Amino acid sequence: MEKVFVVTSGKGGVGKTTLVANLGCALAKMGDKVCLIDADVGLKNLDVVLGLENRIIYTIIDVVNNRVKPEEALVKHKILKNLHLLPASQIATKEMISPEDMKRIIHQLYPNFDYIIIDSPAGIERGFRNAIAAAEQAIVITTPELPSISDADRVIGLLENAGFEAQSVKLVINRIKPKMVKRGEMLTKEDIAEALAVNIVGLIPDTDEMVVATNRGMPVVLNGNQNVSVIFENIAKRLKGQPVPIEADTIVTGGSFLDMIRKLFKGSRG
Amino acid sequence: MFFGFMRRRKKKGSRTEAKERLENMLSTRRRVVPISNFIDEKHFRNSVSEMENVVRELAAKYFNVAKHNVRVECEEHNGYVVIITNITFD
Repeated sequence: MEKVFVVTSGKGGVGKTTLVANLGCALAKMGDKVCLIDADVGLKNLDVVLGLENRIIYTIIDVVNNRVKPEEALVKHKILKNLHLLPASQIATKEMISPEDMKRIIHQLYPNFDYIIIDSPAGIERGFRNAIAAAEQAIVITTPELPSISDADRVIGLLENAGFEAQSVKLVINRIKPKMVKRGEMLTKEDIAEALAVNIVGLIPDTDEMVVATNRGMPVVLNGNQNVSVIFENIAKRLKGQPVPIEADTIVTGGSFLDMIRKLFKGSRG
Repeated sequence: MFFGFMRRRKKKGSRTEAKERLENMLSTRRRVVPISNFIDEKHFRNSVSEMENVVRELAAKYFNVAKHNVRVECEEHNGYVVIITNITFD
């Protein structure tokens, strides 16, 4: 069973880092030992989404330059003690790491973790190459808009070219708006899956909860009341090989009548 | 005027339009361009390490650092070549 995943997209701002943080938390909540690697050197954000930005001592650059071992650079999560982050440096560039460096680092971390998830930078250059170098599976994330889908397609092509088998590339669609899909104003999950010819492992709705979670440095998965956290848990289960139908995400995405009433009262309170 | 309004065609949903545009856009996007389209691949592979040595020597000379502090990598990116040089100052 594969345990090294890279989350990538091509286009920036589609939710890679949010997915990595929540997926890591979901797997750690299930009892797995998880290591998240921020490969977005120079534009790091994963530490911020996880609320760990003040705990960083060493970064991946220190590991590459042999100042410390990978285990020494890891930052433990405040709540989930089995969730670790290998942070990126902000004052370095992606060119300071090579795909060989990434392979070496992941090879060293591999025996100590159940899952390793790499947060890829946007783009298809050196940073992307570093991020995919040691990955066994790729999760491509896209929003339902044309520029994002088109970039995802380009990335899938590059992954295939780099040796990824078709079944090792999975798709997550982020920021779905069920009402727009219903009105015929947004591409459906079937349209996108058909165009990209990859299997969908998650459908994440466009919600305010994600913004609030990022503001607080607390991924939504760590707040049990959030509807959307179920979706990340579903994605984690699918990656672990558990048979969770994709329709389970659609149910959450649509929201129940009770949720609508709840939201209405929440809104009036203000 | 009223009948003209009644006759007006229903506007195509933006999903349908997006689907059509997507099909057009994706028809050529995954095409991979090998380096052999431009230069002899064997020659390219053979020249890489020699070229890396030359760049390493030059960088070490001009930045006044030891050769082992200069890391040179030559990468092929879908039809173009990128030479990446990292210099570490002690």
